[in-house]
Amino acid sequence: MYVLLTNLLTIVVKILVILAIVLGIGAYLTLVERKVAAHIQRRPGPMVVGWHGLLQPIADGIKLITKEDLFPRYGNKFLYNLAIIVALVPAALVFALVPFGPEFELFGMKIKPILTDVNVGLLLFFAFGSLAVYAIALAGWASNSKYALIGSMRKAGIIVSYEVVITFAAMGPLILAQSLSTYQIVQNQIDQRLWYVWLQPIAFVVYMFALLAESGRIPFDIQEAEAELVTGFTVEYGGMKFGLFPLVEWYIETLSLCAIGVVLFLGGWSPINIPLVGFFDPLFFLGPLSPFLWFILKVSLLFLFVLWLHWTLPRYRIDQITSTAWKVMLPLTLINLVLTAVFAPLVW
Amino acid sequence: MSWAKEEVFLELKERFPGLQVEVKPHITSLHITKDRLVDLLKALKDELGFKLFIDHSVVDFPDKPVRFMSFYILYNVDRRERVVVKTWTDGTLPSIERLWFAGKWAERECYDMFGIIYEGHENLVRAFLWETYPYYPLRKDFPLEGYANAFLPSLNEVLRGDELIGTMNYDKMHTPVPSLEDLEITEKRRLKKRAQIVLNWGPLHPGTHGTMWFLFDLEGERVFQCDVILGQLHRGVEKLAENEMYNQFLVYTDRMDYISALCSNQAWVVAVERILGIEDLVPEKAKYIRTMMSELQRINSHLLWLGTYALDLGALTIFLYTFKEREKLMDIIEGITGARLTIAYPRVGGVRMDLPEGALEVIKAFIKRFPKELKDWEDILTRNRIWLRRNIDVGIISKEDVYFYGLTGPVARGSGIPYDIRKLEPYDAYPYVEFDVPVGERGDVYDRYLVRLEEMRQSLRVIEQCVKALENMPKGAPYFAESPDPKKLKLSLDGIGLKVPEGEIYSSGENPRGELGFYIYSTGGVKPYRVKIRPGSLYNLCIYPKLMQDRVIADAVTILASLDPVVGEIDR
Repeated sequence: MYVLLTNLLTIVVKILVILAIVLGIGAYLTLVERKVAAHIQRRPGPMVVGWHGLLQPIADGIKLITKEDLFPRYGNKFLYNLAIIVALVPAALVFALVPFGPEFELFGMKIKPILTDVNVGLLLFFAFGSLAVYAIALAGWASNSKYALIGSMRKAGIIVSYEVVITFAAMGPLILAQSLSTYQIVQNQIDQRLWYVWLQPIAFVVYMFALLAESGRIPFDIQEAEAELVTGFTVEYGGMKFGLFPLVEWYIETLSLCAIGVVLFLGGWSPINIPLVGFFDPLFFLGPLSPFLWFILKVSLLFLFVLWLHWTLPRYRIDQITSTAWKVMLPLTLINLVLTAVFAPLVW
Repeated sequence: MSWAKEEVFLELKERFPGLQVEVKPHITSLHITKDRLVDLLKALKDELGFKLFIDHSVVDFPDKPVRFMSFYILYNVDRRERVVVKTWTDGTLPSIERLWFAGKWAERECYDMFGIIYEGHENLVRAFLWETYPYYPLRKDFPLEGYANAFLPSLNEVLRGDELIGTMNYDKMHTPVPSLEDLEITEKRRLKKRAQIVLNWGPLHPGTHGTMWFLFDLEGERVFQCDVILGQLHRGVEKLAENEMYNQFLVYTDRMDYISALCSNQAWVVAVERILGIEDLVPEKAKYIRTMMSELQRINSHLLWLGTYALDLGALTIFLYTFKEREKLMDIIEGITGARLTIAYPRVGGVRMDLPEGALEVIKAFIKRFPKELKDWEDILTRNRIWLRRNIDVGIISKEDVYFYGLTGPVARGSGIPYDIRKLEPYDAYPYVEFDVPVGERGDVYDRYLVRLEEMRQSLRVIEQCVKALENMPKGAPYFAESPDPKKLKLSLDGIGLKVPEGEIYSSGENPRGELGFYIYSTGGVKPYRVKIRPGSLYNLCIYPKLMQDRVIADAVTILASLDPVVGEIDR
């Protein structure tokens, strides 16, 4: 009984901590993005609300929540509201699979800083990623607007193409780790003293492409394409309902994909890896906190990379994106998969 | 560019018995009867090489037995000369849509404004006004204030009834505005749905760069057919021109192409100076100042184009970079002229005021650092793979299309035709400065992008030479022309009492968006009898439905931005 209670308690605490981190960081990433964009564009960005605009996300949130809740005439109200939930929940659920650090002991209990270390973790991740397409298709359909419909169809096309690509790209590390559990994949990389990015560079590059496409970032942000479709499938949404879509797509989803990318390719919470030599930890003085910091550092680096691209590049056209996915990315990942499958058992 | 000489048409005179050739210093006209008009135009196009369609419109004479004088302005590409074909009609004309597509749009406009019926026109619909509008506003018998026969009270009057007093009590009857039914009829007349959905792209849409209303008949995302409904910004500038004095109309040229106001000003002022015959009297300083300012304006306009073009293609950062430079240019222009957007700085006979002290230093500092900025942006865009894939082989315009659709400006030059009024018919200080005319090869969107970028560099060259020339001038040099005979010709800064002798002229200037031409028909007096404005943007836009055939929506913004239309100039 006692064990059950403590287990329940730890899970609840974990959920609260992760949700707080995800939603809080998600909100504050808007500020990060605005600041990064501003400095790329040679301007200061938000400066008025709080010190260097630190309270800006809160002001934005209050503004969005207090806005009038508009609903398009002849739209489908049930699906319209359902789309928001279907968008937010799977994106947040992915964080249940992200291992933030190694196992540690607290009050005599061994705690893994991961919500559920299921042995089919990656499979769940793919499933959640595919669910996002429903949210967008529903939003586009329920809005009863041609722009929203076209935007959602574009996004659906991209997600269908890149889900396949991202699955095959993740297949390489998966073979090397011989596990679907995210915690185990990181542990294997630490045990083998090698990040999988050194063995799977092609898969990593393809994964980063797919990351941009799935999260709707430039150069793949054609579902928004404000110059063509105004804002695509969110065009009929207002207030916080509108705010949630970019929050989910641009921040939470990007963040979760970055985290999974770190887990698969960059050795999760492990410090800097030099192939054939081992790990090198310049943050050793932080003791048990250093793995957590490494994880956060890597994820934010990937995220900043995404931002950098977003605020520099132009955008592709829909046919170019899908043809890249099917004609370039997929064959590349397939070749990579075959090579890994043939050579890994021989060498490993 | 000169006007065609009489001997060019000797052979035609034999074939067309009624043909009269009239040569005046600023215009060469061919008079022909209505029934032989199309044959003559065909002969001019196919045999004599007058391939490029410039403009077509009508002048209304209500008192004459045959009411309308229609004119067609053509340009000979090989011999570099223009000719005007004129014919008289009572209300019907043969359509020239088979000869020039641009003529089709010009005919629509004449139908809209004068009620001329074109026989053989494929789809004769109104160009700017809605389909159910009963009047033809550019006819001389249409009153300037319109017919106030629609009951349109203000909101205050609706809420408070007749209790309003004093200045709040307006007339409740106004000129009609289109109702939703009217707009629906207009839309239905334009485009018959043949594919899956009709997407209303505009009138208020960020991608259209103004208030244009596109109709895309979509099959999936592929555009099956496309049409455009213009007139959301129509203000009747040509009607206003007939009722304003020559210098008063100057401020309306600002509001036509509001992004390149100085260039439009210059084109208008030069046209009036030419019809007055005082082009040589304008002091050199004024000429250099005008040239320098309009080149600054050209860079300004191209910067806006580059920023919004990149924004349309998703490169958000370039937009802010270009606008930062544009802001500096605006500050320079504001410092010299006192205004940023609608400037009205040139005057008939010179410029409004002298350059302020230090203006040349500021301009020199700008042209020193601007090429570096330009290179930075090119580093981001020009060889970018995504940029190339979005631009190359999109919206290809062939040389024949340029003539057929009457394209001018960077759009024509992008297709390899060096059609630049600054070189062909130099005005102001353009004959004295050196610059090159960049042309493209393939004629796709990418070539037009490169042409415009190179044009900015060439503008810098022109500005540099102008600054040098202005620096060498004595400080008190005149900037406004002295009238040779003040009793006959009153030249003043405000332009009041400026009388223009009888006559007509077609004169054009090279705007950043193409040839901006003014056809002025004067019957003497302080106001023109008829002004036809040849907007570069309108004719550049008329190829858009053709380019959009079988492209996707994502290309719509690319192609539209590469044509770079400004609605103020299209609708006038």
